[in-house]
Amino acid sequence: MNLFYKIITYKPGITLRILSGLVSFLVMLSVCAITGILDVTQLGARDQNFKARSVEAGAKLYSLQCSRCHGLDGKGQDGIAPALNTEFFLGRNEAKIGDNNVIELVTAKPSERMKEIGWSGTVLNYIKGVTAAGVPLKSNGNWAEPHPTFAQAYGGNLREDEINNVSDFVNNWALEPYTGEDAIKAFVPGEGGAPKPTAVPLTAEQEKGKGLIASKGCNACHAIKGVANGLVGPGLNKIYTEAATIITQADYKGSQGKATTPEEYIHESIVAPNAYVYPKCPQGACVPNIMPQTFKDTLTADELSALVAYLSTLK
Amino acid sequence: MAIIGQKLVQQLKTTGVKATLAQRLDDGFTRFTSGLNWNDVRGVLRGDPPAKPNPRVKPHTEGFWFHIRPTFYHEAVTTLYPTFRLGFLSAWLFILETITGIYLMIFYTPSPGAAYVNMIDIMTNVPYGKFMRDLHRVGAEAMVIVVTLHMWRTYITASYKKPRQFTWFTGVLLLIITMFLSFSGYLLPWDQLAFWAVTIGTSMADAAPVVGPTVNVLLRGAPEIGAGGLLRFYLMHVLLFPLIGAIFIGVHYYKVVRWGISLPPDMDAVGEDTARKVDMSKRVNFMPDILTNEIMYVGVGFAILAVLSAFSNPIFPGAPLENHSNPLVTPLHTVAPWYFYWLQGMIKIPHIIPGISLLDGLFANGLGITPKTFWGIMIPPIIIVLLFVVPYIDPNPSRRYKDRKVALVLGVAFEALILFLSLAGRPQGVPTWLSGFGDVRGDAATEVAQEFIPDEGESKIKEIPYSQLVEGEYTVSDNPQVADAPKLNEVIKEINEVMLQLKGHADPARKLATDATTTLSIVKLQQNLKSATITVKYTDATTGTPKQLIKTAWVHESSGFSHE
Repeated sequence: MNLFYKIITYKPGITLRILSGLVSFLVMLSVCAITGILDVTQLGARDQNFKARSVEAGAKLYSLQCSRCHGLDGKGQDGIAPALNTEFFLGRNEAKIGDNNVIELVTAKPSERMKEIGWSGTVLNYIKGVTAAGVPLKSNGNWAEPHPTFAQAYGGNLREDEINNVSDFVNNWALEPYTGEDAIKAFVPGEGGAPKPTAVPLTAEQEKGKGLIASKGCNACHAIKGVANGLVGPGLNKIYTEAATIITQADYKGSQGKATTPEEYIHESIVAPNAYVYPKCPQGACVPNIMPQTFKDTLTADELSALVAYLSTLK
Repeated sequence: MAIIGQKLVQQLKTTGVKATLAQRLDDGFTRFTSGLNWNDVRGVLRGDPPAKPNPRVKPHTEGFWFHIRPTFYHEAVTTLYPTFRLGFLSAWLFILETITGIYLMIFYTPSPGAAYVNMIDIMTNVPYGKFMRDLHRVGAEAMVIVVTLHMWRTYITASYKKPRQFTWFTGVLLLIITMFLSFSGYLLPWDQLAFWAVTIGTSMADAAPVVGPTVNVLLRGAPEIGAGGLLRFYLMHVLLFPLIGAIFIGVHYYKVVRWGISLPPDMDAVGEDTARKVDMSKRVNFMPDILTNEIMYVGVGFAILAVLSAFSNPIFPGAPLENHSNPLVTPLHTVAPWYFYWLQGMIKIPHIIPGISLLDGLFANGLGITPKTFWGIMIPPIIIVLLFVVPYIDPNPSRRYKDRKVALVLGVAFEALILFLSLAGRPQGVPTWLSGFGDVRGDAATEVAQEFIPDEGESKIKEIPYSQLVEGEYTVSDNPQVADAPKLNEVIKEINEVMLQLKGHADPARKLATDATTTLSIVKLQQNLKSATITVKYTDATTGTPKQLIKTAWVHESSGFSHE
């Protein structure tokens, strides 16, 4: 009882008070400092945890909502839905250890499908878009049903965060996509009824140039009927005719002297896009520096002349 | 005509730059402290005796912050007993919650589309975000505990008696405000825990007779919690309750200045109160004694909470963030916050004590009130009203322990009852050695799956390190032999133990069929993603048909649950 009385009537002396108060404040300050220093690495680590948890949540949603048509393994089902788990659709991502040991995903191989359909955004955005808003067509009767809308905003049953989860899960296959031939491939856009390109047969060089439109990514921004669907830069359907007009205009100045032929103009537009900025783009006036300035380095002389040869057929 | 700065020039001329600067700085400092110069403050912090006349009284009369603190205490209340500084600590926690709350507010949007994303952002993109969130949470829990203990202490030492009846009244109000503050903050992360805890809380209001549905819709903003409900809870959390709290803390504090801190019960004659008539020899001045004490308490309190928030520890595992709220999926075993367990326990009373159920029957027949409504909705407000009026209905003028045997026994019995009801309010009820009341767990197979793959929160399967999730299908046994996977073997063994336990359960409704077998299958889905599925196969005891229960967990390599 005496000890109990001693404890409850305890009162620390002034020295102890000041000392323990001081020590506590120092402890608190050092905890704050340690937290601040740890946060530098831990913010990234936690970011990674939550991204991983998004994939986990997406896996559950995928098994409930998507696997019926696309298959649990994402290889698709003939006549019902195309494969999602393929290099053709997703491209290939590589996990690299970045700053603070946080794993970063790097595109090792871009998606061929995105090029084929002329999608200018990322694969992840495409997945989100289709999951949320669906595809309102039956794709020329190739699939049993059109892709349903899943987002609540479009009459589906998934919230926005769930759309993100499930898209993260599908995109996560890109680390190790399926490469077998039995995966069900999506159909080429326009297959089964779209107008065919012009009848004049292209030369071998022109044909090569046409191929480069897709493989070098021109189609991401430019539109050519039947070849590319980009909606950023000016359409190229009549570029040769346009070029012939532009080089005669007073306000036209070339990069190193004026181009005298449409071919020269086209060549110049690829290697020095800012020399003359065409006024009309699909979303308003064209802006300098949107088109990459690097094609003069990334394209070989052969590729460049093939491109010019092909574009010169567009009259 | 006086020139501006003439005095300054004069002073500079006569005393020099250094002395003038020192004098002017000290002058400003004195204004800031409402009457104490630099040396006075140093003296206070060093515990020096005051100068004569005592300058340390000035802040109490001149300044705002100290005018709600007494200038002196009776020496008998400066020790740990009788106050334990619980009131001061409550006020300090209120301030801590305000500061951390404002920090979190900056990064938060009260909208269903944004709130959960904000929470993840706070933890992954905001420096000190997780720390502040944990501090806010641990501070809130500490505040509920400290405020409750404060009320307890006041009851035990009978400090609520004349002339402090109204102080007690505001104190009960502040206790309720504290609980509502904590509870209204529960919804803001907009995760499953938040959504369902608050859904339960508001449904309790809904069940109240006559006004219930209206109150429920007012709180939720709609029949179901949604954008409107989130905004309302947010406004209550950051505006309404803090405002009422701040006002009544002011009233409560003023009453402490007015009546002083009540002396230990045995020091006053029965019916007398001499807390403000302190003999000079018994006086302990606020400065330096009490002030340095409080600075120490704040320092120690901050240090404890900061350490609890910053480092992983078993006492406070961190503010939880479960999956995004989903009105369509109710996680199994959803519970209210722990300080409302006793309310959930109240609802279970008709189930656990048959005698009281009969009593309910009488009410139900006459007034159309169900037993659940009676115990869960009508009794709690009566308890709260009783708390409010304790000082007004207590006929005993004496504060002495030996004169208050009935009151003390009633108080302890009340507390024991609340603790018992709190235990009963949990899904598993009170421990079996204490009768096992309130166990509402479902059928055995579901419980096996729930134990290892819960709908929400930490899960034993997810705690297995990713590398030890070896692909394959394992039949649960007491001696699993998966190579290089000690943790996986441990969990398989644990599943086996839980099954054995449930196979021997006394309650036939909860008993697991003796022929039940469980398999755990692990499949690799993606480069860094595996699924673990628990399948329980058994023969249904009543119908004799084979049944199975399947539950899957998905585990990503870097989801961070395994603490590898």
